[in-house]
Amino acid sequence: MKSRRWRHGGVPCLALLCGLGLATQGLAACPVDKGFSAVSSPPPLQLAWRPLLQDGTAIAPELIPMARHFLVEVQLCDGAGPSPATLSRIDATMPAHRHGMNYRPRIRQVGAGRFRVEGMMFHMSGDWRLEFELTAGTEVQRLFHDLAIR
Amino acid sequence: MTLRFAEIFAWLAAGLLLAGPAVPARAQPTAADGGFSTAEIARIAGHGPWPMPWHGDPGNRVSGNDAAIRLGFRLFFDPGLSANGRISCASCHDPARGFQDGRANAQGLRTGTRNTPGVLDVRHQRWFGWDGAHDNLWSASLRPIVDPGEMGGSAARSAARLRNDPDLACHYRQAFGKAPDSADADLLVNIAKAIAAWQETLVSPRTAFDHFRDALLANDASGIGAYPAAAKRGLRLFLGPGQCATCHAGPQFSNGEFADIGVPFFIKPDGVDPGRQGGIRRLLANPNNLLGRGNDDATRGNATATRHLRPEHRNFGEFKVPTLRNLRQTAPYMHNGSLASLPEVVRHYSELDEDRLHSDGERILKPLRLSEGEAADLVAFLESISAALPATAMAAPLTAPGCRPR
Repeated sequence: MKSRRWRHGGVPCLALLCGLGLATQGLAACPVDKGFSAVSSPPPLQLAWRPLLQDGTAIAPELIPMARHFLVEVQLCDGAGPSPATLSRIDATMPAHRHGMNYRPRIRQVGAGRFRVEGMMFHMSGDWRLEFELTAGTEVQRLFHDLAIR
Repeated sequence: MTLRFAEIFAWLAAGLLLAGPAVPARAQPTAADGGFSTAEIARIAGHGPWPMPWHGDPGNRVSGNDAAIRLGFRLFFDPGLSANGRISCASCHDPARGFQDGRANAQGLRTGTRNTPGVLDVRHQRWFGWDGAHDNLWSASLRPIVDPGEMGGSAARSAARLRNDPDLACHYRQAFGKAPDSADADLLVNIAKAIAAWQETLVSPRTAFDHFRDALLANDASGIGAYPAAAKRGLRLFLGPGQCATCHAGPQFSNGEFADIGVPFFIKPDGVDPGRQGGIRRLLANPNNLLGRGNDDATRGNATATRHLRPEHRNFGEFKVPTLRNLRQTAPYMHNGSLASLPEVVRHYSELDEDRLHSDGERILKPLRLSEGEAADLVAFLESISAALPATAMAAPLTAPGCRPR
């Protein structure tokens, strides 16, 4: 994987995914949109997501309909603004069942730090684990978010 | 999207359930709510309403078209599409048997290796056939016409039948707005689309379970009390220890996906049925899938499932999770028709042979080890999701105005 430097406003940002702690400069440049759910992330990185029905209606994560396709919007911010990291993969598994989804989602970048994912489906009720894979240059980090589908 | 009251209630109930501590939990379920807990009621609500809302098939331009429905009815019962002139769609999909045939394996020109699936409520399906080799109803309706082992027909034979029968030709003109003079292959696609349009009208009736579910949500003690105690006990098993609803979910009692539940996939004398693995292969090779030019939805918004398919090793030996509606009319059961009765189906899950399950497969499948009484309760519940089919379900649509009655 080709390495590259991340920069925000001229500030080197190599340590972003390693969580080495650049000083948080406030989130004014990249407020996570209302209605997005935060995923536990190493500061200053912020990952937030929200599901949408196929018709584009935003819904709360706990209301994702079982066995129906849905979309996901992801927002990546850091202390200085939109994160230069890329959402390189998203997937979901049922740890207790030891299997994942029957569908392969596709990711499209729709703006700085913004991604839209199509083709998600939780085809069974139970506990699911969402996995977000972020890439910046040669650095890769995975973040997880657990949720129950009824 | 228009939500019915019961749907709204179901969403609210689910939301309240998930909200956890904010919901004042009832100390004890009462007789008035059938003895079901708040959590159970929320899950029961998710198995309705019935019938489900339906908004037509955007991939079939004659979906919901009255003239196409009339044409599709005629074609569904027309043996003239088959090679020997004696087999129609209805030969296997018999209206008197829940649009199934009562055989273990389908019998067309040859004996098949799979059980004939019923077509009631087929309009709600995402995948068609036990292996999901079709992603749309018209494509699934076309295949048996030309399958050498089923009807053994062809595009040329079907087109000639349409052109040479004045009644069919008249109904075709009404449905498609032009004479049946297109190329044979295009006419065959339109024949399949008309047959699909008719099948979309086949909706199974409300059942004892549906009445109970609605009574529960409406707090109607009389309606709740009318549901047999054995069915209530079976429902509790279905939702709880049995974990049946993990896959047999929603108003159709199916998540529409695929699973290996330990039913053998060997075919006598020495073959094997790859199930979903082969289905995905056939689907992607089929020009009539939703990524093809026959899809009337120009946006391809209806092709999400096909576009995002993820073939997996575990697909080998997986078969479609069937609906549990109309089971009383659709014995025998399983993809190969190997289980003759509902007690046998329940016994299969009770004594599940874990050694038969795919090593990559579902980990929560365990033998239920049901007592005799529990097994009977589960059967009572399953039977409560069936109702006698009204005669109107198989009534012929009227002859189109301007067409000569047969």
